[in-house]
Amino acid sequence: MTKRIFRSICFVAIAVFLASVALFLCVLYDYFGNVQQNQLKTQAELAAQGVENAGADYFEGLDTGGVRITWIDTDGEVLFDSEASMAEMGNHLEREEIKEAVESGYGESARYSVTLMERTLYSAVRLEDGTVVRLSVAQNTMLTLLLGMSQPIAIIIAIAAVLSFFLAYRLSRHITEPLNRLNLEDPLNNEDYDELSPLLRRIDAQQRQIRRQAGELRKQQEEFEAVTENMAEGIVLLNTKGVILSINRAAAALFDTTRACVGQHMLSVNRSREMSELLSETERGVLSEKTVELKGRKYQLDASPVSEDGSVTGAALLVLDVTEKERAEQMRREFTANVSHELKTPLQIIAGSAELLSNGIVKEEDRMGFYTRIQGEAQRMIRLVEDIIRLSHLDEGADEMKREDVDLFALADETVKALRAEAESAHVAVELEGERAVIRGVSQLLQSIVYNLCDNAIKYNRPNGSVTVAVKPENGGAVLSVTDTGIGIPPEHQDRIFERFYRVDKSRSKELGGTGLGLSIVKHAARLHNAKIELSSTEGIGTAVTVSFPESLT
Amino acid sequence: MRTRFDEQLNALNQELIRMGALCEEVISLAASALIQKDDALAARIAPLDQTIDEKERQIESICLRLLLQQQPVARDLRQISAALKMVTDMERIGDQAEDIAEILPFLNGRTLPEHIEIREMARATIRMVTDSVDAFVKQDISIAEAVMASDDTVDDYFVDIKNSLISLIAQNPTEGEYALDLLMVAKYFERIGDHAANIAGWVLFSVTGEKLTPQEGN
Repeated sequence: MTKRIFRSICFVAIAVFLASVALFLCVLYDYFGNVQQNQLKTQAELAAQGVENAGADYFEGLDTGGVRITWIDTDGEVLFDSEASMAEMGNHLEREEIKEAVESGYGESARYSVTLMERTLYSAVRLEDGTVVRLSVAQNTMLTLLLGMSQPIAIIIAIAAVLSFFLAYRLSRHITEPLNRLNLEDPLNNEDYDELSPLLRRIDAQQRQIRRQAGELRKQQEEFEAVTENMAEGIVLLNTKGVILSINRAAAALFDTTRACVGQHMLSVNRSREMSELLSETERGVLSEKTVELKGRKYQLDASPVSEDGSVTGAALLVLDVTEKERAEQMRREFTANVSHELKTPLQIIAGSAELLSNGIVKEEDRMGFYTRIQGEAQRMIRLVEDIIRLSHLDEGADEMKREDVDLFALADETVKALRAEAESAHVAVELEGERAVIRGVSQLLQSIVYNLCDNAIKYNRPNGSVTVAVKPENGGAVLSVTDTGIGIPPEHQDRIFERFYRVDKSRSKELGGTGLGLSIVKHAARLHNAKIELSSTEGIGTAVTVSFPESLT
Repeated sequence: MRTRFDEQLNALNQELIRMGALCEEVISLAASALIQKDDALAARIAPLDQTIDEKERQIESICLRLLLQQQPVARDLRQISAALKMVTDMERIGDQAEDIAEILPFLNGRTLPEHIEIREMARATIRMVTDSVDAFVKQDISIAEAVMASDDTVDDYFVDIKNSLISLIAQNPTEGEYALDLLMVAKYFERIGDHAANIAGWVLFSVTGEKLTPQEGN
């Protein structure tokens, strides 16, 4: 701005200056030319009178004072010249001013020298004898004058330039200062320039539009964040390069990072091989899925490329906790394998024994033994299948099962009586203590809880040991505890004994005829009654299982 | 122009992170193969080392191209030259992990219970490698300094193991071969620790521009 104003001012100043110089030169040059010519004329007339009166003597000792005097004869020959020798000078009759003087008594002319640097003015007067006196004076031409003035002209131009720069600076400052002071936050409230109001109105309109759009964007962003923030699953949005655009709280916690990682590359947050493969696959626009281990849990990473108009613009990374799922999967696999194995063993014994019998290889006295084995194994299978059916019922839920008021104490009493024979053969004393405790539940399931716990307490006891079954009401519910003096459960197994088919000591359990499903049934049945199971056991001393039933709501 | 350069630098960083992750994997494999005496794990080391070698060449060519085309100065130049040096150390880590894997069959699945230090040493070395890569990823000077400091711990472990192996040979000269093999494994771990410390040093250099004097044994 300053530069442009400076150029304009400078151009105007110099143009005006040069024009006035030209104007003055032309006018004044003409004027002074005329004045000089007139003076020369007067002088020429004076000189003519002088020559007329004194003849050639007039020239003796004459001080011409810069004026050249020439006296020319009628035939054009120079009789006298104040500056050059007469012999060298040619005939002057043809000179313009002489010709004019010879004809009219007075003549004048002006001639430029060859170099144009000088102009000479001539005035000629005819004397009465026909001779001519001519006076001439040299005059500077316009060019010479101009050349002579070049220095002051340059100085003046320089001054003009400096001045115009200064002015331009001041002016542009003066113009731009109010512009810089414009309050663009509130464009309509500026009064400096009327000329700016259309612009300011447009800015105002645009600002309102921007504010509205920003508001909408923020709202969308907040909605998005509100949704993703409270998700248990981790969500990370990435651009094509794999740089994190957004990350929710769950994902940030999982990858052990903070929101500050937005803008960084995903690899700097997690550089596992799976992540690296996942990223390169997504970059190619392929949907991919990987399982990684983070902080001891398994997570499934689902990366889906986001495409727009056929080109990949980014990716959404979903992090799902699949630890439970994987475990359930594994348990199901193990269960199937176990069930098949458990069912196969008695079947093989039955099939083998039957084959031997039908082939007639078995001696008559051994036959009885084989029959009992077949019967025993068949019963084992029945028990097993019954347990499996019960478990699968429990898995499906107890919604259809009839809930009624059950006296846990009476139930325990029945069970203890039913198990008396077994207890006696194992030389274990069973005692029941406590009082009536009524809870609401499924009697069949409660019975299997008591039965399985007591059965285990008797089976895994030592000879002359004891089992104490205690039932008492508590906090509106009831507590059942079965304490034995048996072999106990080693600590490393305590977490797992409620799993299906899990056995601490496989051989011993089989020998005792267990199916491996008892405690699993207890766990499920207890869960359906919202009961809590507590286990405390010391190896070699005994085990106590406490089942606390809460107050039933229905 | 600058944006393109920045993009190339970012790409270089990501490749370095990938290579760092590979180094972590290879050393964990070597340590697990040693501790769990698992030949299947050891067999996975050699192909991984080849991947690391490839990565080194790839990163080197990225660095050289950047140096030639962009003629970087100041911090950018430091970053690229540090990357060039770092990949060499990373590649050496891969090689040494492979060397460990080659010795493992000669141990015949034996690591005497009294040589529990070698597990601790392996663990400490893995920690150093992980931390040095972390220091690079986060450009964190404090982690880098911690890595350089923990090199001494690994060196101490090596001295301990050496001493206990010397006494083993003194008591039972027939165990000589086993002791020497185990010593080699320990030495490789110690070297890996040195390389991790070097990587941390280069991280320091690329961030601060100061090159610490190489530590003893580097």
